[in-house]
Amino acid sequence: MKMKSILALVLALVLCTVSFAAFAEDDSLQKVLDKKQLILGFDASFPPMGFTDENGGYVGFDIDVAKEVAARLGVELVLQPIDWSAKDLELNGGNIDCIWNGMTATPERAESMSLSIPYLNNAQVLVVLADSAVKTIADMAGKTLALQSGSSAADAVAANADLLASLKSAPVEYADNTLALLDLDNGGVDAVAMDVIVANYYIAKKGANYRVLDEQLAPEQYAVGFRKADVALTDAVNATLVEMAKDGKLAAISTEWFGSDVTIVAAQ
Amino acid sequence: MQYLNDPNLLWKLLMQLASGMGTSLSIFFFTLLFSLPLGMAVALGRMSKRRWISAPVSFYILIMRGTPLMLQLFTVYFFLPKLVGPIPRLQSTLIAFSLNYAAYFAEIYRGGIMSIDRGQHEAAQVLGFTKAQTFLQIILPQTLKRVMLPISNEVITLVKDTSLATAIAVSELFLVAKNATSASGSVEPLFIAGLFYLAMNTVVTVFFNWLIKRFDYYRT
Repeated sequence: MKMKSILALVLALVLCTVSFAAFAEDDSLQKVLDKKQLILGFDASFPPMGFTDENGGYVGFDIDVAKEVAARLGVELVLQPIDWSAKDLELNGGNIDCIWNGMTATPERAESMSLSIPYLNNAQVLVVLADSAVKTIADMAGKTLALQSGSSAADAVAANADLLASLKSAPVEYADNTLALLDLDNGGVDAVAMDVIVANYYIAKKGANYRVLDEQLAPEQYAVGFRKADVALTDAVNATLVEMAKDGKLAAISTEWFGSDVTIVAAQ
Repeated sequence: MQYLNDPNLLWKLLMQLASGMGTSLSIFFFTLLFSLPLGMAVALGRMSKRRWISAPVSFYILIMRGTPLMLQLFTVYFFLPKLVGPIPRLQSTLIAFSLNYAAYFAEIYRGGIMSIDRGQHEAAQVLGFTKAQTFLQIILPQTLKRVMLPISNEVITLVKDTSLATAIAVSELFLVAKNATSASGSVEPLFIAGLFYLAMNTVVTVFFNWLIKRFDYYRT
């Protein structure tokens, strides 16, 4: 009997030490609190999530939410524009602490990064001119479309084999959504595949010359990306987002940018 | 025509583009400041009779001219810090650009030096000049006159290459224009930025035309 209780005691001690060691290794949250800064990496040309306003300042829905989260954690938010295609290098190299810029949560990204809880619903949609005959995805047969290269729109179109096969030619890839929409304006293509959130921003900004098809290409969710090992930091940000959803701050920021509360944190 | 219709908005954009141009110009001037002399050193190394100098230098020139500048930029900014600690973005840009352009300038200098005919070397030898004196007082001045036009080519290319710094998010002219384009949904900022680049290169071209004329005091 005595042996058993000694064994149990030793086992308990070992477990305590091991779990203590695991906690001690993940000092991601502590590091941020110590240097009193959370460095946010974003592509400064992605309205309305994070972009440059006419005075050269950085604004956006994600920026506002991140500012609030940082304030609640007691740290300063440092905005660091990055090149989107280099985001993994910037994150893993320690130049930024998180990627917070309307980043789509995908299984691949969940493997290489620590993702937060999803906070916004998005979808890849087709944008056409207001007077276009195209009403559904099936109407795209024999037509052309443009998209931003390397974006989730490119992935969504590639995944939709029927659409891809029915197009007149391969999708035209542009460096920018603005250029893709310009091609649409000029009649160079019949539709543009892009995020519905960005599409609505441009429609609100440039007038109702465009129409978004009701039928979506692919639904998706936005999440914040952290280094794979930074679980403590991810958990802290998650907790803060939930807190903000509960006390209505998140809804307020959403209404300011989108006219209503479209966040999904509260629903979890 | 968003910007052309709204003078206030246009002015704000021009201010932003001007500040971006300031960064582009600082990349431009500092890169030239480091790479022009470094290029001469590399050229001399390349022409050295000693294999243990000329072989590594040839390899360096091969790598710098043979790989994309953007890749070199990534390597300096993301991977060099693993060896020597964090390097800020602008400094990384200057290091990568200077090393790259030094290689190109080195080959231009080498071409110029080798094109000076043997008569000059022989005359100098006869007159009792040492090797160093020959190089500094006879060969080098003639070389610089000869290479001015090829150098001006590279300098003009450099003005436009500064836009590659956007790969590591340095806030120079092209990135500012790109952000403004995305925020406004209009491509005017990109075209206006193009005018800025054209203006810079016009200054460079005029300068070199003046310089070449100035040094055309005799024919060799």
